[in-house]
Amino acid sequence: MRQGICIYVEAHNGVISATFAELLTAARELQKITGEEISALVIDNNTADLCKEVESFGVDRTLVYDLPEGHTLQDDAIAKVVSDILEETQPSSVLVPASPEGRSIFSRVAMRLNCGLTADCTELLVGEREDGTYYIKHNKPSFGDNVYVTIVIRDEFFPQILTVRQAIYSPAEPQTLVTKQEDFTNKFSFPDSGIKVLNQEAKAAVTDSISSAEKVVVVGKGMESPDSLALVQAFADKIGAAVACTRPLSDVGLMPFERQIGQTGCTIRPKLCVSVGVSGAIQHTEGIKDVETYIAINTDPHAAIFREADYGIVADANVILKEFLEQA
Amino acid sequence: MNIAVLIKQVPVSNKVSVDPETHALIRASVEGMINPSDRNAIEAALALRDQQGGKVVVFTMGPPQAESSLREAMAIGCDEACLITDRAFGRADTLATARVLAKAVEYYGDIDLIVCGALSSDGATGQVGPMVAEVMDIPHVSEMRAIVSASEERRQIEVLKDLEYQTYTLQVNLPVLLTFQFGCNEPRLATLRSTRAAKKKPLLTVTNEEIKMPSTLIGAEGSPSRVIDSWEPQDGRKAEMLSGSESELTQQLKELLAKGEEV
Repeated sequence: MRQGICIYVEAHNGVISATFAELLTAARELQKITGEEISALVIDNNTADLCKEVESFGVDRTLVYDLPEGHTLQDDAIAKVVSDILEETQPSSVLVPASPEGRSIFSRVAMRLNCGLTADCTELLVGEREDGTYYIKHNKPSFGDNVYVTIVIRDEFFPQILTVRQAIYSPAEPQTLVTKQEDFTNKFSFPDSGIKVLNQEAKAAVTDSISSAEKVVVVGKGMESPDSLALVQAFADKIGAAVACTRPLSDVGLMPFERQIGQTGCTIRPKLCVSVGVSGAIQHTEGIKDVETYIAINTDPHAAIFREADYGIVADANVILKEFLEQA
Repeated sequence: MNIAVLIKQVPVSNKVSVDPETHALIRASVEGMINPSDRNAIEAALALRDQQGGKVVVFTMGPPQAESSLREAMAIGCDEACLITDRAFGRADTLATARVLAKAVEYYGDIDLIVCGALSSDGATGQVGPMVAEVMDIPHVSEMRAIVSASEERRQIEVLKDLEYQTYTLQVNLPVLLTFQFGCNEPRLATLRSTRAAKKKPLLTVTNEEIKMPSTLIGAEGSPSRVIDSWEPQDGRKAEMLSGSESELTQQLKELLAKGEEV
């Protein structure tokens, strides 16, 4: 019988992504009911260091595959190796970060294995079948955040693969566990890929200034008039913040695409975030993480942004910002 | 170079509610439009064709009404269209959808490059593109920014892909599937004249008569996923709401900003 919860470990430049600790929390919650073991799948260059980091969190097993240098973006070939390892280890479920890498690799894996792939889960619950085995109920938003759905994978399809949204589960605390390590590097030869990396460079400065800004003012459709935008810029200058926007503004060219925050734009991690005239659709808010002070100003008291922000002000941001600048 | 563009007709508005009795989705509008990032894929395809020759064929799977989006794509500049429609393909998840799309592109034949949008505005899974590539056993590059150059002779294409902090230049063998980020280029627009001309451009309708997919691979039967419930989110407000007159609110905002400064 299929057994085990497998977590796909994403790493960049030798550092494991923060999503691992979050997925581990999700896995431990499932484990409380199903009692299954938790394994971590590490496929990268220099897996020795990554495994050390993963094992320090406490997992039952690490499944390791050492990638040859220069092959990290070969998703066509990586998907084959991942599929081989999952066929060999037969987990009942696989938890994947809802990231570009996760979507890219595991879409192919799901097709190869003919199993279910649920995207962007925000909550995982356990259901029990008549024969006493368990399955996972995947809760996720759809149509923006206008509706939530529960998805299950039909019994005859395994494993259940699901991508989990970032910053939904809190990071797991380290536990001391004896980790078994299984290395598949020699078992499965690395397949040919149609993809070759020719060049790699740091992204243009304008995006960096948004990604690395400690203070960001985000402007949304409620403040798209030229006067409002000028006011927002003056306010941002006053408090020493960078200005970012939601998709409707970059869509129509009011702000450059590089300033767009959210699913189709940048991700920011500022200390301070003030959003003005932003309704707070999940496609936007998932681009804002780890904010220490998050203030939202919106005329609509029911705006979804008040589900995300720490402090809410129901008012016309034009009036508040103008007054702020006059007083300052 | 012959290019296939896979597009999705999405609802104009994401406003939906849930019938509390039946849990069925009630859509505020039934009007459909071309998924926004698919327009960027169309633009990339047309730009490459204008430079190198060949043709752009636009594909969509959906009900017969989806023809309007195909006609619009041809008004924007696509040369031919393929409407994949059959009740047997309905109620499909991403796997069952991707299998049919891949089969239809193969059935159409003579395609060097397949492009589509990175994410749809309704489901936003980003899965169908890479899945089509897997079915066809060709490489893919997803959520990318631009085509740098392409050579039909060498059967290669160079593309730019952005990850969080890095931009990569990748060389990929043809045929390949590419998915384009929303906003990565400026899609051209249809004119009255091109809209009229699009009515005469060739449109092929493909049903399961033509591609003969077994029922175990398509539609609801071929879909591992099942939606078993749906509901509207609660108004779970997290923010501490500030109250007072506008000048009092401004004062509180000032204090919050000063407090943030100390941290």
